[in-house]
Amino acid sequence: MTETDAMLVQVEAVSRTFPLDHSAVTALDHTSLSVAAGEFLAISGPSGSGKSTLLNLIGCIDKPSSGRILVDGVDTSTLNPNKMTALRRNKIGFVFQTFNLIPVFTAAENVEFPLLIQGVGSRERRQRVAAALDSVGLSARANHRPDLLSGGERQRVAVARAIVHQPALVLADEPTANLDTHNATQLIDLMHDLNRRLGLTFIFSTHDARLLEHTDRIVRLCDGQVVSDTQSQGGSRG
Amino acid sequence: MGKFLLLAFRNIFRNRRRTIMTLTMVGGGVAGLLLSGGYFAFMTHGLRENTINNGLGHLQIFTADHFRRDEVRVLDTGIENWRQVAANVGSAEHVRGVAPRIDFYGMVSNGTKAAGFMGSAVDPVAEKSLGFVTRVTSGRDLDAKPGGEVEAIVGVGLAKSMNVQVGDGLTILAMTSDGALNGVDVQIVGLVKSGATELDARYLRITLPAAQRLLQSDRVTNLVVGLDSTDNTDVAYNELAPRLAGLPQQMTLKKWIDLATYYKQVNTMFNGIFLFMGVIVFFMVLMSSVNTLLMSMMERTREIGTMLAMGTPRLWIVVLFMVEATLLGLMGAVVGMVGGNLLGALLNVSGLHMPPPPGFTEPLPFKVLHVPVLMIGSSVLVILSLALASILPAIRASRLQIAEALAHV
Repeated sequence: MTETDAMLVQVEAVSRTFPLDHSAVTALDHTSLSVAAGEFLAISGPSGSGKSTLLNLIGCIDKPSSGRILVDGVDTSTLNPNKMTALRRNKIGFVFQTFNLIPVFTAAENVEFPLLIQGVGSRERRQRVAAALDSVGLSARANHRPDLLSGGERQRVAVARAIVHQPALVLADEPTANLDTHNATQLIDLMHDLNRRLGLTFIFSTHDARLLEHTDRIVRLCDGQVVSDTQSQGGSRG
Repeated sequence: MGKFLLLAFRNIFRNRRRTIMTLTMVGGGVAGLLLSGGYFAFMTHGLRENTINNGLGHLQIFTADHFRRDEVRVLDTGIENWRQVAANVGSAEHVRGVAPRIDFYGMVSNGTKAAGFMGSAVDPVAEKSLGFVTRVTSGRDLDAKPGGEVEAIVGVGLAKSMNVQVGDGLTILAMTSDGALNGVDVQIVGLVKSGATELDARYLRITLPAAQRLLQSDRVTNLVVGLDSTDNTDVAYNELAPRLAGLPQQMTLKKWIDLATYYKQVNTMFNGIFLFMGVIVFFMVLMSSVNTLLMSMMERTREIGTMLAMGTPRLWIVVLFMVEATLLGLMGAVVGMVGGNLLGALLNVSGLHMPPPPGFTEPLPFKVLHVPVLMIGSSVLVILSLALASILPAIRASRLQIAEALAHV
């Protein structure tokens, strides 16, 4: 097995342009990136640098204008919409800046949702939901609806939802942007703990310095291009 | 599916005000259909029983020639051995009685003025035994065994036209079966009011023996069969038809519905009106539901984007919206059925009356029948409306671009 084969995510010369009136905006410009399984990686950069676009492309919720992305060895550019949906369902967990919990579901029901769409049986669903909520420290809040939870609790429910189906990759778009320092620190610790304990791969976009301090590897984007790729424990890749 | 039903159910109550408005609209549509349909059903049911009890009967027996050709001479297409036929028919199950009738026409005169009449000759005892109602407004009904005078009852319009009252005399003239003109003096013993103005202006009734003497014939035009219930018409028809086969004269058996032209016209008109109302309600529910569901979809754009991002198949989003709409339709149908039936019950005890329709002289009571078929039909209609209304929002929701939906504010 080559080093390339061992990579969980490979972004190869990917560009993404968006039409705007009579012109086009380039959000990503021939960007390349490789992420190994088990990494805890931050994508940083100013607003408009292409962080969210890159996450969307890796998460298969958008398609590149050129280049290709491989997730767990699968070339996503060759997949039809149904297979893209299945890939997201089975391989990827999402954490959003604004939590995006289903408001009419309880915390447990929100966490259960990815298992439901995977067709997991009810007994196993219950067990895995309980374990996921336990791992984020919210067992006692399982039957509360999102509007009765604090911002930090909601984001922890979102993390539980992202990991409950044991994905290969968790993508988090600005996960601490709507949290105070205390909750942000708790969330960072939680994500890091899950990364180390379960070997889950985390890729998240942020410009939160608190989060960057705890990150093993930081990829900095500017104007849609990777300008640096630093690794706190293994040195720079840039 | 259980979780999706739960999600659908909870989403319905997410925006309570909008749900209440939708349920009011859907329930109002169902209640409106139940009330209008129930009123029409009452009208047609009442008209049916009135038509039958006013003398049409449930079945009528004619000679086959009666419908094949016009009479060349009076009663030449009439029934000859009608007593034998009546006895044979009268012994069948569900048959309450048989009444012979003669329909005839002629002129009536008060000595200074003459007018045409439509005559009906009856056996008063047989008519009474079948419960046929003669709406005598003054005087009395025909006597089965009158004294010396030939008795007659006439419509109020004819009496007014001829300027006569109960106790006065009239002369009636008609063609006999031999083609001669015959006349008989009658004494008016009663005035009748059928409710139909045109009929009351021409109507005259005498006893069967008097008519047979006037027309110089032993025949009758038809035999009217009364049953224990209108619901047994088909059963009785199937039993009587074989009994009429093989007689010297070929007979034809007719059901009341085949002879009730006016009833059929009114029924067709009511059905047309009700269909029109149903179509209007269908489109009202459809269009306002599309609007409501589109608003709901817009509000939930980010939620749908999240579900799609997590790998929810787009078809599931379509199903989710359709299940929600169908549930809403179901709840609206229940609201409408409860509301419509309660309102109907209230109207039934209120004693309301509607003004007399054209051609009628008496106000009609406002009653609403509770018709199970109508409840099922109107419920299915609104549930179908909601399900159809959800298709556009459901498809739009399922086609959302995930990245755009997640960024939706």
